[in-house]
Amino acid sequence: MAETMLSVGIDLGTSTTQMVISKLTLSNMASAFTIPRIEITAKEILFRSEIIFTPLKAQNEIDIEKIQHFLDQQYRLSGVQRAEINIGAVIITGETARKENARSVLQGMSGYAGDFVVATAGPDLESIIAGKGAGAQEYSKQQHTSVVNFDIGGGTTNIALFHDEDLLDTACFDIGGRLIRIEQQTQKIIYIAPKLEQVIVQEQLSLRIGQVVSPADLKPLLKILVAVLENAVGLGEKNPYYELFITNKGLKLPANIVCVSFSGGVADCFYKELTDPFLYGDIGLLLGKELCQSKLFREKKVIVSKETIRATVVGAGSHTTKVSGSTITYTAAALPLKNLPVLKLSKSEETGTQEIICQAIKEKQQWFEVNQESQMIALGIEGYANPTYQQIAHLATAIVSGFSAAIARCDPLAIIVHLDNAKALGQAIFSRLPLDYPFVCLDGIQVENGDYIDIGMPLIQGSVLPVVVKTLVFE
Amino acid sequence: MILKAKLFGKVYSFQSVMDVMAKANEEKSGDRLAGIIATSSEERVAAKVVLAQLTLEDLYNHPAVPYEEDEVTRIIIDDINQRAYNKIKHWTVEELREWLLATTTTDYDIKQIARGLTSEMIAAVAKLMSNLDLIYGAKKLLVTKTANTTIGEVGRFSSRLQPNHPTDDIDGIMASVMEGLSYGSGDALIGLNPVDDSTESVKRILTKFEEFRNEWEIPTQTCVLAHVKTQMEAMRQGAPTGLVFQSIAGSEKGNTAFGFNATDIAEAKHLALQQGQVVGPNVMYFETGQGSELSSDAHYGVDQVTMEARCYGFAKRFDPFMVNTVVGFIGPEYLYDSKQVTRAGLEDHFMGKLSGISMGCDICYTNHMKADQNDAENLLTLLGTAGVNFVMGIPHGDDVMLNYQTTGYHETATIREILNKRPTREFEQWMEKMGFMHEGKLTSLAGDASVFLKK
Amino acid sequence: MVDKQEMKAMIVSILEEMTDPSSTESATKVVEKPINKQEEATVKEATEEVLEDITQIDIRKQFLVPHPADREGYLKMKAKTPARLGLWRSGPRYKTQSMLRFRADHAAAQDAVFSYVSKDLIEEMDFIEVATKCKDKDEYVTRPDLGRQFDDENIATIQQQIKGTPQIQVIVGDGLSSAAIEANIKEILPSIKQGLKMFDLDYDEKAVLFIKHARVPAMDKIGELTKAEIVCYLIGERPGLVTAESMSAYLAYRPIVGMPEARRTVISNIHSGGTPAVEAGAYIAELVSKMLQHKKSGIDLKEVE
Repeated sequence: MAETMLSVGIDLGTSTTQMVISKLTLSNMASAFTIPRIEITAKEILFRSEIIFTPLKAQNEIDIEKIQHFLDQQYRLSGVQRAEINIGAVIITGETARKENARSVLQGMSGYAGDFVVATAGPDLESIIAGKGAGAQEYSKQQHTSVVNFDIGGGTTNIALFHDEDLLDTACFDIGGRLIRIEQQTQKIIYIAPKLEQVIVQEQLSLRIGQVVSPADLKPLLKILVAVLENAVGLGEKNPYYELFITNKGLKLPANIVCVSFSGGVADCFYKELTDPFLYGDIGLLLGKELCQSKLFREKKVIVSKETIRATVVGAGSHTTKVSGSTITYTAAALPLKNLPVLKLSKSEETGTQEIICQAIKEKQQWFEVNQESQMIALGIEGYANPTYQQIAHLATAIVSGFSAAIARCDPLAIIVHLDNAKALGQAIFSRLPLDYPFVCLDGIQVENGDYIDIGMPLIQGSVLPVVVKTLVFE
Repeated sequence: MILKAKLFGKVYSFQSVMDVMAKANEEKSGDRLAGIIATSSEERVAAKVVLAQLTLEDLYNHPAVPYEEDEVTRIIIDDINQRAYNKIKHWTVEELREWLLATTTTDYDIKQIARGLTSEMIAAVAKLMSNLDLIYGAKKLLVTKTANTTIGEVGRFSSRLQPNHPTDDIDGIMASVMEGLSYGSGDALIGLNPVDDSTESVKRILTKFEEFRNEWEIPTQTCVLAHVKTQMEAMRQGAPTGLVFQSIAGSEKGNTAFGFNATDIAEAKHLALQQGQVVGPNVMYFETGQGSELSSDAHYGVDQVTMEARCYGFAKRFDPFMVNTVVGFIGPEYLYDSKQVTRAGLEDHFMGKLSGISMGCDICYTNHMKADQNDAENLLTLLGTAGVNFVMGIPHGDDVMLNYQTTGYHETATIREILNKRPTREFEQWMEKMGFMHEGKLTSLAGDASVFLKK
Repeated sequence: MVDKQEMKAMIVSILEEMTDPSSTESATKVVEKPINKQEEATVKEATEEVLEDITQIDIRKQFLVPHPADREGYLKMKAKTPARLGLWRSGPRYKTQSMLRFRADHAAAQDAVFSYVSKDLIEEMDFIEVATKCKDKDEYVTRPDLGRQFDDENIATIQQQIKGTPQIQVIVGDGLSSAAIEANIKEILPSIKQGLKMFDLDYDEKAVLFIKHARVPAMDKIGELTKAEIVCYLIGERPGLVTAESMSAYLAYRPIVGMPEARRTVISNIHSGGTPAVEAGAYIAELVSKMLQHKKSGIDLKEVE
């Protein structure tokens, strides 16, 4: 009884914008004699949009109307109706996400990704998504090895380290192909990113806006950028600008990184002929060439990425959606739920008395109160490997009393359990709530504080819910 | 035809040939459940006395299920060689037994004559044999079959690696595959019993097996033991099918209960030769087990040894690479304890080999049976001595999906060492190349699955 | 001169070389150590200490391969299956610890089959106790036909105790594992009851039948005797070595004797390592409501869904 769902991924990057539509196949992996276990068994990309430069109005303002127009056009080309989309993710990445207007852009876009989700990406999430889209995680699993993926875009390089399928760490550097933009005809510099300005000053390089440049002029700067990326996986001597280029953090450098892979636009530049070094009006081609000569290529095993410039969008479209366990409880009226911040009980809270659990829930809700206005949250708990009926009953009582204020406001409740408890716990909560109260209690999904969660409409005769967990804080 | 015998002055009379056959059986709880068992030990011997004097023609004329009613009977009768049959039809079962056991009778001689034997004759002679007779008789019979590799050669002892997993988790399955291979298990087959019997699942696992087999250049066969029709659908959809599997029974009614008939098997075999990855000519894999006909009420009042022999008669038409009697899985209502399981294992192996089948045995027991691992090890040693083509190999003998116990990876290695046997020729070379085996003995690498994690 | 430390290091390294299976498979040299131990042990009195409970070792984490090519990868792979992997060997045979654990698990499995559900539990749960025609466990395992039939006395008990025509009749049977019932029944029954409430349904907890020597088709007879709309039957599964405590639930809409097996809806694998009893109970409650809604069970129910 396979069923499919459509997932859309939209990547709004510093330099380019694109979308993909993926078909995810869900199948029951359990025998006919046990409780169903629904898994995503196949992922197929149905449609890849063309790649456009992210339309900007003024220097740093995204032109939302043009993006809407682009998406309309792409939906028409794909033959997929927006209403058919079950779930998906919009990823606003790199410098774009930091623009003041990112929030309003997202609001303007929400209808364009179907009736679901809008996600903002922090650099960590972006690294993970790109690494998955590039196939680094899959390779690490197949070959039982460690792989670092460098997703080198226009403004940032997002790094994810996988070992035998497990995600170990992420990092991000402000290094990309469009840190310097050059007018193709005149070869004049038209933009220099602020951090590069700093380097130029300190290194006393003669690179100024308006100046005509040759590849040779840029060489010292490119060498620094490449050295920082080498440093990122522990190669070479520490460059003095290493710290400067860190966006949020570097890798914690576990001992042996065996393989590296590259995605993002710059990864397409490695093997291009250098007939016109400024073909794209930036330093991407030259950066690519420089990387080819680097220690990364000489000292690590370079594996071929499944996706390069599309890694992030494919990751967003195909690798962000999970499905819940198949024994869950919800009222359909509560769905879909979008962008709920996760409040996770600590182990000691969860194993505490009813009073402790109830208090913890009450206190944590206050964290999310902005200007005395409360926000809906999703409660994350670990659950029990083999609960007694009493344990479930106590937990349900504590949760309902912890959310008394939310219940008074008629806010839907969302309970996200890791272990297989959600049907019993949901029924227990149901019996303690007012009649027909909207709530979702699902399991099979692990969340942490700092995550945001989207829950889509039910699938497979209502037995499972599609879920996107957006990990914004990464341990 | 005489159906009466006197023992200690008492006359025992039997209703029919099949009544004699049932009562001549060694004690089996399944025959008791069916209500056809000898009522005393003396009656059992009396039945054997009668059986010994029946001619092969008597058995030919009284098949377990009438020719007109049953496809399996038709296949058995139609496929025998009339010239060979006419030569021996006047023999009594006693004469057949003694001829088979004679030192002067060779494998070559037996193969000439065996073409004229119906399954009922084969079952009858097994009933007159003691356990050691069954071992001695089977030991003579060499049956080799070829798929990608050749099984059953002199001095070889193979195993099917059974990497079952309670949820078909592919990584969990592969973990068992890797470790088994490092112990030298899997030279007959890497064969999974899937939890999920769907086409998708079969395709997914077959593809993974084939990828792994190619990556490490492993000379063996693979199989996912779903229903034959599911495997056929997977083949049509391009799955890299190895051997094609089906559980079979000794009557058409039994096969119908399993959801197939002879035409389906013929079609499956044709498809496998046309589209599968196995070179052949032997591409089929069947499983049997005493008692399965009774459990689906398809036994026609016939004893379980005779019905089992008929499975081999049916199988023979499709010239399988291997047939596996799953001897202790069915439970104590058919085979009560280790004594009955041991007997059944030896009977099945002998009858299969005499039928010209590449015979192996899943030497196993369930937890509601009066048996334990020592009993499994005993039967393993007996069958190893009898020259069984293959046994099962599973981590520590514990099947975590089917919830029964069989022989482990270690058992294959141990029997090879005790009886000075080797894996199939090609697989032995592969093990030497991988460094798991040297001159027939396990090396220090054997048992380390993580060798396959390093490339 | 070599000092004490160096001497110790040398001895350790020589010993390691001797016992390293990668340098030699020969057992003769390794034997010396246990002999010494034994001599020591003979002079000592027995103490009050208790050896570690080997059945508490998590098999998924137990790892005995001495020099794996990739320890971490092996453990990770092992964690994905309950199969007894990575337990190494002594020559071609099993290590003593893994062999003992196998035997312990088999002992638990056999005991689960051949023991009875405790009287205390049956009393505590207030079950109505009946038995099939089997006279003992031995007859039970060899005569599946008798495990589905009741004599007149038991039929009378059922008819007297179950009054009216229940909408939902709950039955508990020992089946092939009494241990499964003892481990799960106290958790699953209240969970079913709670779940049924969500659908405005209920069952009478004073009218739960307990069947000794029970086979699955016994539920059909109970269905006929009570005329219940739904029979929900919790029964011990044939144990494996992974667990002896696995329980199944069989549900049928208006079961009758001789009905096709396909009319049963089965949920197996209810135990602490499979579907937890409490969660299974919640699922069963929802199934019951679906069966009542569609007036179907088994394959028929799947088809309408």
